[in-house]
Amino acid sequence: MAETRETIFVVDDDPSVRDAISNLLESVGMRAKVFASTEAFWKAPRPDGPSCLVLDVRLPGASGLEFQEMLIKKKVSIPIIFVTAHGDVPMTSRAMKAGAIEFLMKPFQKDELLMAVRHGLDRDRIRREQEAELSALKVKIGQLSDREREVMDLVVTGLINKEIGAKLGLSEVTIKIYRSRVMQKMEAASLADLVRMADRLNPRA
Amino acid sequence: MLLAGGNADDNSSPLRRVMADRVSTGSVILKFLRRLGVSLLSVGLAFALTMLLQPLFPYPFLFLFFGAVMASAWFGGTAGGLLAVLLSTIIVDYFFVPPVHSFSISTTAEAYLFAFVACALAASWISSAKKKSEVALQEALDNLEVRVSERSAELFKTQTELAHLSQVLSMGELTASIAHEINQPLTAVVTHGHACLEWLSADPPNLDKTRQTIERIILDGTRAGATISRVRALFKKEAPVKDWLDVNEVVHELTIFLRDEAIRRGILVQTDLVPGLPKIKADRVQLQQVLLNLIMNGMDAMDDVANHRKELVISARVEDANLVVRVVDSGKGLDGQTAEKIFTPFFTTKPHGIGLGLSLSRSIVEAHEGRLWASPRASGGTSFQFTLPIHPRDSDG
Ligand SMILES: Nc1ncnc2c1ncn2[C@@H]1O[C@H](COP(=O)(O)OP(=O)(O)OP(=O)(O)O)[C@@H](O)[C@H]1O
Ligand SMILES: [Mg+2]
Repeated sequence: MAETRETIFVVDDDPSVRDAISNLLESVGMRAKVFASTEAFWKAPRPDGPSCLVLDVRLPGASGLEFQEMLIKKKVSIPIIFVTAHGDVPMTSRAMKAGAIEFLMKPFQKDELLMAVRHGLDRDRIRREQEAELSALKVKIGQLSDREREVMDLVVTGLINKEIGAKLGLSEVTIKIYRSRVMQKMEAASLADLVRMADRLNPRA
Repeated sequence: MLLAGGNADDNSSPLRRVMADRVSTGSVILKFLRRLGVSLLSVGLAFALTMLLQPLFPYPFLFLFFGAVMASAWFGGTAGGLLAVLLSTIIVDYFFVPPVHSFSISTTAEAYLFAFVACALAASWISSAKKKSEVALQEALDNLEVRVSERSAELFKTQTELAHLSQVLSMGELTASIAHEINQPLTAVVTHGHACLEWLSADPPNLDKTRQTIERIILDGTRAGATISRVRALFKKEAPVKDWLDVNEVVHELTIFLRDEAIRRGILVQTDLVPGLPKIKADRVQLQQVLLNLIMNGMDAMDDVANHRKELVISARVEDANLVVRVVDSGKGLDGQTAEKIFTPFFTTKPHGIGLGLSLSRSIVEAHEGRLWASPRASGGTSFQFTLPIHPRDSDG
């Protein structure tokens, strides 16, 4: 894979605090990008690669919590670590329910921040891997012919060749050939493997 | 006295004390003797060993002298190293360079002896330079510790004083805002402190980054101190000190100070100022107090108003021979009965109010030959305004 460096985005309207956070991250060899507002962060290009967002709760304009809601609405998934000077319980639980990694009280200790950041990056990395896997699967299934697709849909429901043949009005031998082609094109090692792929592609089924 | 002392720039004294300890005269002589001893001992040892080992080798075996030079430079500094070089050169010349047992040198051996001296000097220099950099690093670490602990102590003091301050003055409304203002630089200091330790424990230690980080720590600590003195100036009660003031500037400073409080309460604070207003002769702190009282009252009046745009506008205009300052809110307004009493001392409708804000403000404005009054707004809310007479400025001052 190409070199995809991890990036930690820091949004805080106080220049001293955001510089300090980026200095700390830099000192342990991480790459940080700082922004004075959520708008600036939103407008800036975000490099492809695992990332997470260290977000101040109290910001001019939209608060950190409102920005979290907006990201969710726009289907932008980036793990968020909130920092705040005065975290009350309802605020914290609201943020955590919406999927925040951590809610840190200023001033926080080094390990609190670094652990949360590593956790966030890991979560983002896993999500990216799963997405990459899914899109690879989509490419593969796009290469199947209509017939092959039909056969695959029936195979994964657990029907045997004979039953599929009867359903589609084809001989058992023909189904066997289609079936092996499906296995080949989907690069499935076994029937169980193929079923797993079908689940990933169509989770509700 | 509350918030006394704490000059932010006076951070050098403990460092100077450390330096002074290092250079007392008695220790200088002792140190010189120690260096001499180290050089004599190590060169003597090298000489004895060389004499023992020499019969085993067909050529002059001089390597041990380099070891002696390095050891002398390490423990005795540059002077110790040079002394060892000198001693070794004499010994090598006399005992090992032909003609042996004489200080004269044959022309062929000249280059050999020269090379020996050069190598010995290099060894001495490397060794003492290495030692020096190690000492410097240790010193940097010590200084860092002193500075960080000083700053932390200062900040801690500041915080306790602040807690006290808010109790004494019962400015509950402002505590959150002030605490936030202090907590920000404090957070930066703690975070930079952690970063500093990381930069120092890197291999090799990143001294540039360490220095930069310490500079930031000093700036942030100083900033916290400045916030405190601003707060102190805001609440200090002293005889009026009248100065030529720019009202725009005073209003602007206050809005910056109140920004966080306004955000917390969901209020939009706007200023409507015209540039180039004439300066007026007034007491800055007292003028801030009047404005602060009116602004806090306006904010309070908007707290219970739901489904409403919460907006506070502060304006300043020249009208006739006066400067008129208005603080206009979109709050719950004043009913006729209340309006009559609001300037009476200790009249309050607030659970934690003292009821002194308006009466104090009115007496301050009157001491400045102005007037302070309230008027209802047609669109809801209240407008508080006060005048300050514009005096012609005869001379600059
Ligand atoms: N902008 C306003 N809108 C509506 N009512 C106001 C406004 N300003 C003042 N009042 C009324 O006037 C009363 C007296 O105000 P004042 O500032 O003197 O005291 P306070 O705000 O109650 O207490 P504090 O001494 O802490 O200021 C308030 O309790 C409130 O009822
Ligand atoms: Mg008041």
